[in-house]
Amino acid sequence: MKTYFDVQGDGGSGIVAQVTAQREAMTAALAGVRHVVLIGSGKGGVGKSTATMALGQSLRRRGKTVAILDADLNGPCQAQMAGLEGAPWVPGLRGLAIPRRRDGLGVVSCGSFLEGAASLELPSVAQGDEHVWRATRELTTLGQLVASIDWGSLDVLLVDLPPGTESTRQHAAFLGPRVVLVLLTIPTDVARGVVARSLAALRRDRAVVLGQIENMAGYYHRAEERILPLFPPPRRGELELPLLGRIPFDPELARLCDAGWPSDAELSPPPGLEEATDNLLQALAAAEITA
Amino acid sequence: MKFLCVVCDTPMRLERAEPPKDGSITAVFECPECFHQIAMLTNPMETQAVTSLGVQIGPGAAERAAAGGCPFSGMINEMEEKPLRMPWTREALDRLAKIPDFVRPMAKDSIEQFARQQGHDEVSEQVMDEARGLFGM
Ligand SMILES: [Zn+2]
Repeated sequence: MKTYFDVQGDGGSGIVAQVTAQREAMTAALAGVRHVVLIGSGKGGVGKSTATMALGQSLRRRGKTVAILDADLNGPCQAQMAGLEGAPWVPGLRGLAIPRRRDGLGVVSCGSFLEGAASLELPSVAQGDEHVWRATRELTTLGQLVASIDWGSLDVLLVDLPPGTESTRQHAAFLGPRVVLVLLTIPTDVARGVVARSLAALRRDRAVVLGQIENMAGYYHRAEERILPLFPPPRRGELELPLLGRIPFDPELARLCDAGWPSDAELSPPPGLEEATDNLLQALAAAEITA
Repeated sequence: MKFLCVVCDTPMRLERAEPPKDGSITAVFECPECFHQIAMLTNPMETQAVTSLGVQIGPGAAERAAAGGCPFSGMINEMEEKPLRMPWTREALDRLAKIPDFVRPMAKDSIEQFARQQGHDEVSEQVMDEARGLFGM
């Protein structure tokens, strides 16, 4: 009797071919993007979304063409922070057009796409087992959305990853070999521990991790132009990963993000941000040479 | 998963598949040589495994998917096309047709919502251009 490997194809549905085609569509949509940079942390509540927005704006100030993809399917966070929440999904040249802030920073929130459309609730036929397939389902949806967008040509696409060590790793693997990662951490023992675990998992998978940005490195007092301490000094040592920059918590930046960035609002960058951006660009250029 | 006809050792072909009902997919395989048929009935776990991949099931599914068919069509009714809630011009519908099936229902809803907010009673290409202008698209 024939064995599995003697039989060509799967009898008609071509499931493997379809999954491959989905991947190819995603890769093709991103073909004009020079650097796909995943911003991950593993740990939630480290101010990753705000920091990603700040990085995006900083790259724009250097004249780079930049977009942010908010890969968290559970909330329209980045679009909301950019004040682009009401932007409709309009056909562009070869897919959906990217909504842009006045400074030209493009923002796509998966959450705002799914809001009102189908939620990711799985049919409740296998009660208790949903979690088994949820990750696959979320990544598939993300892939299909990425493939549906007219990214055009971009210098940098920043992907704001959902929290979670395993999720960071799954996204890095799913989005393919050409992505690079930047890990965001905060100076606490817990955060450093979680991010260290993320880093170890990513390295096992041979993902390219460019460096770390330490967020909430103090509290930025704008009026006095001073950085005040925010956390007690952590006991745990720093991660063995190049430090791209240290950015203090900037209440004004947080307030503008919360308020959906009113169109007339301008904000000078918090200390450390511009340096982090310069170091990121250098690391990207170096990674390009190595690749 | 592949199916082999035990009677004549020929790989079986997917004859037809029915969308998931109560968490189960029914797929009928037929032997192209002796026409022997069998039915595969998936359990809810197996159904989830397939649906979470966003693929189409059924004869010629790969071709339909390649042609831009909605991966969930016939699988899950969640992305079902809702009827238009306001008039659309021919040109606006043509433009909408150019974007992938997967995002079309959501795009349609969001454009209608935008048109209403801007006080239009019809979706035209001008409405889409207005949105593109407003949001730098
Ligand atoms: Zn047979």
